[in-house]
Amino acid sequence: MFYVELLLVGLVWGCTYAMMALGLTLVYGLLRILHVAQATVFTLGAYVGLLVANHTGSLALAFVAAALAAGALGPLIYRLIYQPILDKPPFVALVASIGVLIAMEDGFRLMFGPSGLSFADNTWFTTTYSLAGMVLNLVQVWIVAAAVLLLSAFAVFAARTRAGVAWRATVSDPQMAESFGVGVIGVRYLNFLIASLLAGVAGVLVGLLNNLVEPGMGGVISYKGLAIIVLGGLGNVPGTLVASLLLGVVESYGSVFLDRVMDRDAIAFLFLIIVLMVRPQGLLGKAH
Amino acid sequence: MLELKGFACGYGLVQAVEMLDLVVPAGKITALLGPNGAGKTSTIMAIAGHVDVQRGEVRFENHDLDGRSPADRTRLGIALAPEGRRVFPDLTVAENLLVGGYTQTAADARRAEESVLALFPRLGERLRQRAGLLSGGEQQMLAIGRALMARPRLLLIDELSLGLMPAMVDLCFEVLVDLKRQGLAVLLVEQNTHRALAVADQVVVLVSGRKAYEAGGEQARCDPDMVDSFLGIREM
Repeated sequence: MFYVELLLVGLVWGCTYAMMALGLTLVYGLLRILHVAQATVFTLGAYVGLLVANHTGSLALAFVAAALAAGALGPLIYRLIYQPILDKPPFVALVASIGVLIAMEDGFRLMFGPSGLSFADNTWFTTTYSLAGMVLNLVQVWIVAAAVLLLSAFAVFAARTRAGVAWRATVSDPQMAESFGVGVIGVRYLNFLIASLLAGVAGVLVGLLNNLVEPGMGGVISYKGLAIIVLGGLGNVPGTLVASLLLGVVESYGSVFLDRVMDRDAIAFLFLIIVLMVRPQGLLGKAH
Repeated sequence: MLELKGFACGYGLVQAVEMLDLVVPAGKITALLGPNGAGKTSTIMAIAGHVDVQRGEVRFENHDLDGRSPADRTRLGIALAPEGRRVFPDLTVAENLLVGGYTQTAADARRAEESVLALFPRLGERLRQRAGLLSGGEQQMLAIGRALMARPRLLLIDELSLGLMPAMVDLCFEVLVDLKRQGLAVLLVEQNTHRALAVADQVVVLVSGRKAYEAGGEQARCDPDMVDSFLGIREM
């Protein structure tokens, strides 16, 4: 049972990674930008969610507010930071993105203090379910539910709707898609909107899970997200999801069996390095 | 239909084509021939709006195309089947056609899809298949079909036969003749001179960015020197 519980905990973590990494891979697929600043969208979502939850006592409102704030910030970063430098080499956007992340992190530190805030009444955290000897709290259940729900919604959008098909065409060949009348600028905003909504919701969920929202909370998850999208085969959505879940599970088992040697983040990056040595094209990427 | 006057196009300071006068009439196939690097693709891509027109005028029906985006040109009735076909490989055949008809209303797109599938029954059998898994010939059909989804009056085709099996080439050329009979203007860039001459109503040869030869289809077919002197290929 212990091993199954570890697996579940790992999958829960994997779901939070998936919500972050999907956005990163979408942005990379469309614009070839490593969108490190996605971490700041995640953190903003967490802060907005926490403040609204603590003022109104409603988690539903907290999620709506976090999604709105995150959904506004992501497209804004595209418009103000990336769009003016799209014709520059990719590392320019990467440096700008890291700059945004650092500036926002310090902004959060100045506004909300360096040590982080906790939810006044985190009922999801304290509500636990035991199932065949395993204990899960409601936050963990919601993380899985939210990931399944949001990622399925995205899959339906991409496969079944006219806008989704146009979006995929744009990722594949922007010049051709545009010449047939697809609004490429609109597709970019949509891309950042989807990525940011997912990140914002993930931010609140991770905040609830740790019962802590702090200025630097996006950093590690964002760097892991970048490593995951490489692992998944850059721009490859199914690969990204598989890599996210796998990383969560490896971390979960590793943090038990290797806990005297290294911490969970070190395990995660060691795993990523090993996989990339064996399969440099990514887990589901094609060779060559 | 389409008219180029004193046309020059190119990339930045490089001029690919200069001083080109060309009329592409409705209901006719105009073949644009010439050796590699003569500026054929640049000309087609400039008409489609992807390469800068540096001098001169490009008119389509009653519109000056200057300053119009590629999408605007598609809306006006110009559609492109580009070099290398450039179908969307991860999208299914049906989805590729959907994007082709993006400028059309749902009803018009449905009608266009029916006529594309009537023209290429093969695509109808593969609607759910990913375009990247199609054979070269099927991809060319899809590239033409995708362009036809925009219900154009001028079809630009760059390298119709390149890399295709002979049977596919036959089929694609038959479709072009069908389309011109329906009143479409076709501008065809083709490296297979022999095949292009066989269907062309009008032939223009570019050499180093300048028009070197121009004749009606019949005359070009009877003009054995043309192929030798301008294309450097000796045909049997």
